[in-house]
Amino acid sequence: MAATRIDDKIRRSDALSKARGEAKYVSDLFFDGMLYAMMLRSTEARADIISITPPTLPDGYYFITADDIPPEGKNGLHMIAEDWRCFAKGDVRFVGETIGLFVGPSRAVLKSLVDNTKVEYSVKEGAYSIDDAIAIKGGPIVEGKEDDVMCQLYCEKGRDMESVFKEADEILTETFETGFQEHVHLETNGAVVMEEGENYVFYISCQCPFYVRKSVAGLLGIPVERVIVRQTTTGGAFGGKEHFPDVLAGPLLVAEHKIHKPIKLIFDREEDMEFSVKRHPSKIIYKSAIKDGKLIGTKGDIYYNCGAYLSASFVVLQRGVFHANGVYDIPNTYLTGYGMATNTFPSDAFRGFGAPQTLFAIEMHMSHIARRLGIDPADFKKSMFLKKGGETVTNGHVVEEVMLNEMFDNIAKESDYYRKSREYGYGSGRGIGVSFYNHGGAFTGNGEQAIIKAHARLRKEGERVIIEVGSTEMGQGFQTILRKIAAAVLEIPIENVDYPNPDTSCVPDSGPTAASRSTMIVGRLIERCAQEMKERWGEGDFTVEKEYEHPDGFPWDQSTFRGDAYLGYGWGAAIVELEIDRRTNEVVVKGIWSSHEIGKAIDELIVHGQINGGVIQSLGYASMEKMENRNGHFKQTSMSDYVIPTSMDFPEQYYHIQENPYEFGPFGAKGMGELVFNGADAAYVDALERAIGKEVYKIPLPPEDIEEALRNA
Amino acid sequence: MNTCYIPENLTEALEIRRKTHALPLAGGTDLMVQAKQGIGINPVFKSPIMIITGLDELKGIRVEDDGTLVIGALTTSAEIAADERVFYHIRTAASQMGAISLRNTATIGGNIANASPKGDLPQPLILLDATLTLASLDGEREMKVDDFITGAKKTALNDDEIIKEIRVKPVEANYLFYHKIGTRKANAISKLSLSAMANVKDGLILDFRASSGAAGDKVKRKREVEEMLIGKAVSDIPSLKDGFLTAWNGILSPHAMPTYRRESTKRMLSYFLDKISEGAELGIIS
Repeated sequence: MAATRIDDKIRRSDALSKARGEAKYVSDLFFDGMLYAMMLRSTEARADIISITPPTLPDGYYFITADDIPPEGKNGLHMIAEDWRCFAKGDVRFVGETIGLFVGPSRAVLKSLVDNTKVEYSVKEGAYSIDDAIAIKGGPIVEGKEDDVMCQLYCEKGRDMESVFKEADEILTETFETGFQEHVHLETNGAVVMEEGENYVFYISCQCPFYVRKSVAGLLGIPVERVIVRQTTTGGAFGGKEHFPDVLAGPLLVAEHKIHKPIKLIFDREEDMEFSVKRHPSKIIYKSAIKDGKLIGTKGDIYYNCGAYLSASFVVLQRGVFHANGVYDIPNTYLTGYGMATNTFPSDAFRGFGAPQTLFAIEMHMSHIARRLGIDPADFKKSMFLKKGGETVTNGHVVEEVMLNEMFDNIAKESDYYRKSREYGYGSGRGIGVSFYNHGGAFTGNGEQAIIKAHARLRKEGERVIIEVGSTEMGQGFQTILRKIAAAVLEIPIENVDYPNPDTSCVPDSGPTAASRSTMIVGRLIERCAQEMKERWGEGDFTVEKEYEHPDGFPWDQSTFRGDAYLGYGWGAAIVELEIDRRTNEVVVKGIWSSHEIGKAIDELIVHGQINGGVIQSLGYASMEKMENRNGHFKQTSMSDYVIPTSMDFPEQYYHIQENPYEFGPFGAKGMGELVFNGADAAYVDALERAIGKEVYKIPLPPEDIEEALRNA
Repeated sequence: MNTCYIPENLTEALEIRRKTHALPLAGGTDLMVQAKQGIGINPVFKSPIMIITGLDELKGIRVEDDGTLVIGALTTSAEIAADERVFYHIRTAASQMGAISLRNTATIGGNIANASPKGDLPQPLILLDATLTLASLDGEREMKVDDFITGAKKTALNDDEIIKEIRVKPVEANYLFYHKIGTRKANAISKLSLSAMANVKDGLILDFRASSGAAGDKVKRKREVEEMLIGKAVSDIPSLKDGFLTAWNGILSPHAMPTYRRESTKRMLSYFLDKISEGAELGIIS
């Protein structure tokens, strides 16, 4: 077999086993004496629990609640914050909150136990939307607070905004709203827990095995090492398996502590949609000062609906605020972010992690300003691009050469943008739209250095090399990427490199598989391990382990959010062309063009797959993926009423990958998994606005919402 | 525990049906979903069921001597979509139902018996005045599809009957229109569907029909409203159109049809009438 080179196109190592149905997911695992579990959940959004009366339990059945947490344990899941309770006790704060866990041999019996349990509530008024939370409807949700602002931050750049607005010729204030989005990972959430000696072992579908361990150990008051997490082949995640698996693992661990038999909990599809985390809905208000045909300042108020628990929301909100000026060097800005507590299911990680909401809003706002100035939106946006060394909203600087002009030129030519932009005009039924976006790679600020301190290890056994990291394959292709990096450095065939699913008792913690950090950070660690291994190749069997090293010269103050928020950005440009059926408001997308600068594509086939998927997911977010919440209940609870795009909905895409090797990444690569989600939505809505000749301020926009926009305008 | 019968022929099926009132299950694409209990739990049916998928007497499409099209109740949507003898509206609706796997399994009889207001096939069948042959041990009776479906999820099927076949007499039409607005472009449930047809000869509208799906508790069609155009000259369409559209709007359920669906229906019908009025080429108006 030939040595693998970094530019070879590789068939994904997991492709065949998944396509053939040979891969084993957690639902496929069976153990001797295994029991099943089913959750008893809150049916009220905000209420005191008066009583919980389960039916008489048949032999061999258990009902586990907060009362089963031992005295040395604490009823909290340690995500980023620790406020999400493992079991509701005394009150419930959202529909779907776990109250108890039934465990026993028959799922049919478990279902009847859940159905026949009587929970008596004293119902209180809830807050469900950002506006409800601003109005503190029903009183503050978080104990000890005076309002429903759960977390807050601001960033400022340039002069005092009051003086900026004073000298403006024109001020444009606009409010944008984005909705919930459901992950719809192909495989639903699931886990099995069991004992092994004095340890507890999880087999679980997840992105971050070390997160699960950290999150649940406190429930029993035991050291994290006594919880061993073995990631099972994971059928998609998109952020929906970053922290949410903890919500399954917590109750299972408490049950295992009492029952001592293997227990399996698998969510049905409806359960997984109705009772799981979503993307944060947002309300974003921009007020911009325009002078002499130029944008001189923007004030932004950014509200995210966090749901009933903080969990990871403050970090999501931070990323939202840090991306709120998009790819533009707006000279004066003042941005405030508010994370609002509501009685909806907690919002959590979702591809883009807070950035897509503000990027959508700023893109639309910039297009609207351009229209008022009589300039083509593309030209107006180009005139304000950030450049290398340019100041970011956190008073940091852009590390890399910004190549958006080159990227736009490529897709503008391919799509014939300028001719179509002129010809289609505004309100002709046809439109072409454009958007620019970026995504800061890896954890914000000094998080990689201060919080994660990632480790990765390479083991040599004869001619084989084994990758030992906590990072996971979830469908994105990371097993192939890491094996390719190792093989290319070592100049050996990729077939000689193994990368088994991680087991926290065997591998070092390379940090969560999130934040577009895997290739950039963990890939770099493996590259460094492989470089040393190559030099020592003749030494027989040995291991090489490396720790993350933070490059010098990128200051960050986490208490004030000042400095270099990211060590590098991925950059993107997208163009979407569409036609609208005037009779039915059905939209036909005629063309999609994108260019992405990700440093270097480790594998073009995988990157192409990510672009195709990310862009379509973003178009679904903009057009059809509508998830409504009525009084705390999600209205769309199945895949027939919450629809995601099929291959029939959008045409084949043109894609371009801009090379711009990144100093601190493996072979020059940066992160890209989230970037490709961050912008097609705004290009679509820009095109739609031009087609219908009306401005719109919210997504998603299925045909009935387009009707509303046309009527309200 | 479910009780399940699997008859070998129609007579046996009718005997079981009379004796047990077991619910006929054909393709199962509706009933299996409704009976679903969750992962790892057997489906639960509220009454005994009878799997009739194997009854060959109820399968296939034929045309009788007088031109009447007869579709066996167990004929699948895929088979209907592929058969050019089937009227345009029915064939097109069948071809846009769910996904390929569903169309290979779902039957026309099941789609009618399920009586969902969003069902794809009842709408064109009602447009074409299709009838059903209902079989029981006492013999057969014939009924219009429009009368058979009495409301959302409600039918006139007796508890000892089975839908045997669907009959559509030849209908003359030279302008045809069908449009389904789904939640997306494939594998979608109907938000709204509309069929329309006209038979125009020598500048006169000899027949005009329309039917709206997902428009209320059942498919909406009204002969009195259609008659506003029948017998009239094509050249009168511009002066008749507004009155017709208002009258059509009046038969749609206000609850089930919020502004968007109501307005889209109006715009599509208006478009269809404009095309006839303009003397567009005969055939399918798309």
